[in-house]
Amino acid sequence: MREAAVVSQSNPLQRIPGVALVLVLLIAIFGAIAPGFLSVANLSNVLVQSTILTMLALPMTLIIMTEGLDLSMGAVLTLTSLCVAIVSLATKSMLLGLGAAILVGAAFGTVNGWLVAILGIPPFVATLGTLGMAQGLSLIVSDGQSVVGIPHSVRDIYSATVLGVPVPIVMALATYAVFHTLLYHTRFGTYIFALGGNREALKYAGLSPNRLLIAVYALGGIMAGTAGLLMTARMNSGHPTAGLGLEFDAIAAVAVGGTSFERGNGWLLGTVLGVIAVGVLRNGLNLISLPSSVQVASVGVLVIVALFLDGLRSRS
Amino acid sequence: MTTALPTEPASPTQETLPPLLELRGISKEFPGVKALDDVSFAVFPGEVHMLLGENGAGKSSLMKVLCGAYSADAGEFYYKGEKVTIASTADAQKLGIAVIFQEFSLVPYLDIAQNIFLGREPKGRIPGTIDRRKILADARRVLDSIGFEIDPSVTVDKLGVAQQQMVEIAKAISQNARILVMDEPTAALSDRETELLFALIARLKADGVAIVYISHRMAEVFTLGDRITVLRDGRRIDGVRPADVTSDQLVRMMVGRTVDMTYPRNFAERRGEVLLEVKGLTSPAGISDINIEVRQGEIVGLCGLVGSGRSEVARAVFGADPVTSGEIIFDGKTISGEPDVAARRGIALIPESRKSEGLALLRSVGDNLVVSALRKLFPSGVFDPRSAQRTADGLIRQLRIATPGARQTVGLLSGGNQQKVVIGKWLAAGAKLFIFDEPTRGIDIGAKSEIFALIDRLVAEGAAALMISSEQVEICHVCDRAYVMREGRIAGHLSRSELTEENIVRLGMHHA
Amino acid sequence: MTDITKQALSPPRSFLSQDAIQVFYRLLAALLICAALAVFSESFLSLGNILNVLRQASLTFFIASGLTLVVLTAGLDLSVGANVALSACIAGTVIHQTGSPLLGILTGLLVGGVVGLLNGVMVTALRIPSFIATYGMLWVLNGLTYWYMAGDTIHGFPAGFRQIGSGYLFGLPIPVYLLLIFLAIGTLFAQRTIWGQEIYAIGANPVAARLSGIPVARRLLLVYAVSGTMAGLASIIFLSRLNSAEADIGESLTLPAIAAVLIGGTSLFGGVGTVFGTFVGALILTLVLNGMNLLSVNANWQPLVTGVIVILAVWLDMKTRRRTQ
Repeated sequence: MREAAVVSQSNPLQRIPGVALVLVLLIAIFGAIAPGFLSVANLSNVLVQSTILTMLALPMTLIIMTEGLDLSMGAVLTLTSLCVAIVSLATKSMLLGLGAAILVGAAFGTVNGWLVAILGIPPFVATLGTLGMAQGLSLIVSDGQSVVGIPHSVRDIYSATVLGVPVPIVMALATYAVFHTLLYHTRFGTYIFALGGNREALKYAGLSPNRLLIAVYALGGIMAGTAGLLMTARMNSGHPTAGLGLEFDAIAAVAVGGTSFERGNGWLLGTVLGVIAVGVLRNGLNLISLPSSVQVASVGVLVIVALFLDGLRSRS
Repeated sequence: MTTALPTEPASPTQETLPPLLELRGISKEFPGVKALDDVSFAVFPGEVHMLLGENGAGKSSLMKVLCGAYSADAGEFYYKGEKVTIASTADAQKLGIAVIFQEFSLVPYLDIAQNIFLGREPKGRIPGTIDRRKILADARRVLDSIGFEIDPSVTVDKLGVAQQQMVEIAKAISQNARILVMDEPTAALSDRETELLFALIARLKADGVAIVYISHRMAEVFTLGDRITVLRDGRRIDGVRPADVTSDQLVRMMVGRTVDMTYPRNFAERRGEVLLEVKGLTSPAGISDINIEVRQGEIVGLCGLVGSGRSEVARAVFGADPVTSGEIIFDGKTISGEPDVAARRGIALIPESRKSEGLALLRSVGDNLVVSALRKLFPSGVFDPRSAQRTADGLIRQLRIATPGARQTVGLLSGGNQQKVVIGKWLAAGAKLFIFDEPTRGIDIGAKSEIFALIDRLVAEGAAALMISSEQVEICHVCDRAYVMREGRIAGHLSRSELTEENIVRLGMHHA
Repeated sequence: MTDITKQALSPPRSFLSQDAIQVFYRLLAALLICAALAVFSESFLSLGNILNVLRQASLTFFIASGLTLVVLTAGLDLSVGANVALSACIAGTVIHQTGSPLLGILTGLLVGGVVGLLNGVMVTALRIPSFIATYGMLWVLNGLTYWYMAGDTIHGFPAGFRQIGSGYLFGLPIPVYLLLIFLAIGTLFAQRTIWGQEIYAIGANPVAARLSGIPVARRLLLVYAVSGTMAGLASIIFLSRLNSAEADIGESLTLPAIAAVLIGGTSLFGGVGTVFGTFVGALILTLVLNGMNLLSVNANWQPLVTGVIVILAVWLDMKTRRRTQ
C-alpha cells in the first residue's frame, strides 16, 4: 500500500521554543510570586541541586531514544549511594566508594539491558522488577538505617569548587560533554538513533541491536553509580530510601525536554533544560511553601501534558 | 503524460558483452503458491530493464531473490559469466546488487551522510568516534556523482519522498552497486521529480550501471526501457524490446490466462434495492471523490493496482479510517463513526490480512465465530458458552469449515478455512453488506471456488457484496459489474458486458 | 455418530482449556509450597497463620482482580497502589466527618473509580500508552495524597466498620468471604458476560476486535474504571483492618498486585488469563512471603523477591507465548 509519505516536520529546532518557553515561563511565574527565588544564591542552589538529576536524565535520554525506559534508576541510585557510604566508611577511601558504586550500577544496568535485549521483556516490566530488587538490596545492606560517619573526603566533594565552580556542576558539565560526544560524534551514538528510528536499518548494515541495547542500559547504571557519590556527598550519609522516585523526575525532564518516546529522536540540551525546569518547578513550589507532595503531583501533570503534546505532534 | 528524456536506444554492441547478471531456471515456492517458476532472465550493463507483471505475477519475489532476502529453491545465478550463489543480503551486496524498496531503510533523525554510511562510518582519531569532516565530504562526493545537490548534514526526516529515494540510491552507489533494482520509483513523485530521477538514471546508465525497473506506467516503459520482461503467474512470458511491441500486446502478455476456472454464477436480473450509496468520499488515506453504488443481490467488484486505494475505500466505508468529506448511505440512512456502528447496522468487512486483522489467532474457532454477534445472540448480556458452541457448530456445518471442532485454535486452520471463519462471524452477526478485501488471497483452488459459491449464495439470499480483488480473472467471472480505481480515484465503471481482464488492466494503469 | 459430533467430542484444544491447565499447574505449585512450608516450619499449619495467609492473599487479590481485566487487554495499571492510598485517606476522612461508614465506603469506591476512569481516558482519548499514563497518574496521586494528609494520620473508626477488615464470621476472616464473593463476580464477569468475551477479544487482537465491531474504546474505559474501583474497595478493607489511614499505605501494594496477576498466568500481551488464576497467583505470592517470614528471613528481602518473581513470571509468559505462535 503506497501513500505519499508525510514529511515529519518535528525536529529539535521546532522544539526549542517548547522547553525553553516552559523554563522562561516558570522562572517568570516564580520570580513574581516566590520570595527570594530570583536571588543569585537561590538560582545557583537550584543548579547545584540539579546536577544529580542531570546525571540520571542524560542516560535516560538515550534509553528513551531506543524506545525503552528505565524505572529502576532511582532505586539503583539509592543503592549505589549506600555503596559509597558503606565502602568509604569501611576503607576510608572515597575513590573505592565511588568504584564500588559504579560497579554495582553497571551490574544493574547490564541486567536491565540483558532482560530487555536478550529475553525480550518489555523495558518497563524489566526495570520495574530490577527496581524492586535494588530497593530490596538497599534495605538489606543498610538494615533500614542511615549510614553515617563517612569520611569527610566524600562530603567535601559536594561543597568543593574548581576555579570557583562547584564540583557537582563540573561533574554535570563533564557528563554532558561526554554524552554529547557520544551521541553526536561516535558510531555508538549514531546507532542509538537507529535503534529507535529504524532498527531494521541496523540489521541491514550487519550490526547487532542487542549488544547496543545492553550497552545503553549499562551506561544508565554506570551514571547512577556516579551520581551515587554526589548523593551521599550531599547528604553526608547513606540513606536507604534517598533516591527513590528520582527516575520519575528524570523521565519528566526528558519528556519535557522534547525527546520523543517513539521516534528515535533525542535532544540532550533539551533534557538539560528539562532538568532545570523540573528543578525550578520544585524550588519555586518549595519557596511558596507547597509541600513536596504537591511538587510531585505537579511534575506528574507536567509529564502527562508533555507526552500528550508529543503524541499530538507525532500524529500531525 | 510523457516525459521527454534523452534516451539512447540500446546499442547493439551491448549484447555482445556478457550479461552482468544472469538468472537461469530460478524457482521459488511457498506453501500453496509457486511464486517463481523456472524464470530465466539476463541483465546487461548500462541497460534499463523493465519488469512488468500484474499483482502476484512474481515481481516482488524476483526482487527479493535478487537481493538475497529470499533464497531460491532451484536455479542458478551467473555473474559476469561465472556461477555464484546469492543466499544472503551480504552475498548480493558483494556482487553489487542493491534494491531500492518502497519502504526505505533510512533512519529518520540521522543526517544524509550518516544514513549513507551506516555501519561503514569513517573513523576519527579517537577510537569509536566518527570523522565528521570526512563523512560529510565522502557523502558530498557520492551525492555529486548522482547529481543530487543537497547538504549532506540535513536530517532525513526533513526530506520529501523523492529526496529520500535519492538518498537510498546514493547509499546503493556508495556500496558500489552495479545493478540497481527499483520498485515503482516514480509512484510517489511529481512530474518534476520524475524528470530528475530519469536524468539520474541516464547518468547511471552511462556509467554502466544496470537498472531493473518495475513499473506499472506504460509511458515510462516505452520512454525509459531498453528491454522488457513480462512475468505472469511466476513465469517469464517473454522478453522484448520496446520498439518491437505495442502497449496492447504487453497488456495481453501480462493478462492472458488459459486456466479454466468454473465459478458458476447466475447473472440473472435480480438487482434489488440500493443498499450502499457512497457519494464524494474522500479520506486522508489517499482516496478522493469516490462514488459507488451497490444493490442487493449484486457482487460488485472493486479493481485496480495495488496501492490504487481499494482497501482504503473499504476501510472508509466500514468506519475503520476517518473520512474528510463525502457521504455514506447504508440502507437508506447516513452512517458514520467507528466500525462498531457499521457492524451493528449490518456492514461486514473481511479484511485483506485475515490473520492480523480478521481473526484472534490464539482464540478458538468458536470464539472467533461469535465475536461479532455477541449482542445479537445474547441480548441480555449473559454469555452462555453452550449456546455459543451450538451456534458455532451450526456455522461450521453450514460453511463446511474443516476443523476438529469449535474449540480448535483458529490459528491452526488452513487459510481457506480461516477465511470461512471470518465470513462466518459476519453471517452470525446477520450482515447485509459484505465487503471483501482479497477474499481468496493465499487460498488454494479448491477452497477458492467454495468461497465464491458461498458469496454467490449470500447475495442470492438478499445480501450484497463489494469485492476487492487483484485477480482480474476472478472479478470477471464472479462480479456483476466493477469499478476500477487508479491512484485514489475511480477511473471507470465496467458493466457485465464490458467486464474483461484487458479492460480492467487498461483502466487501472496509468496511460499517456 | 456424525462427523460433526465426532469432531466435537475429540480432545478440545481451544484456549479456554489451556487456561484451565495453566491454573491447575499453579494450584499444584501452591500446594507444593504449602507442603514445603509445613515441613520446614512448625508454625505454618497453625490456624492463626493459615487465616493470616488467607487474609493477606485476599487483600492482594482485591487490587489484583481489577488489574487482571486491564492486563487482559494488554494494558497495565501502575497507579493502583497510590489509588488505594488516596481512596483510603479520603474515605477515612469522610467517615470521621460524617460518622457514616456507608458514606465512607461509597466515597472510597467513587474515588477509586474516578481515578480509574481518568486512566482510561488517558489511554483511549489521549492515546498515551497505558504504562506511561498510569505511571504519571501514580505520581500525581502520590502527591495529592501526601498533600492532603499533610503528614497526619487518620485513625479510630467505628467498631462496626472495623469488622469488615478485622472481623470474623464462623471462624473465617470477613475479607476471605469478600474474596470469595469477588472471585465469583470477577470470574462470572470475565467468562459469562459478553463484555468479558469482548475484553478477551480485545486482548487477543485489538485490531481485529475493532474490525469485528467491538467498541474498543468503551470497553477499555470500563476495565480501567473497574481496576480503579477495585482499588477503592481494597482501600476500605485496608482502612478497616489497619484502623488508620496514612499517605504511605499504598507504596508496597502495586508490585505484589502485578506479581499476583502475572504469576496467575495472565499474559502481559493480552487475551490470556483468568481471575481465578490471579487468585492462585495472590496465594502463591503470599505463601512465599509468609514462608520467608516464618523462616525469619529479613523482611527487607521481600521487595527483592517479589521483583525477581515478576521477572520470572514474565519470562515464563513470553516463552509460552512464543511456543503457541
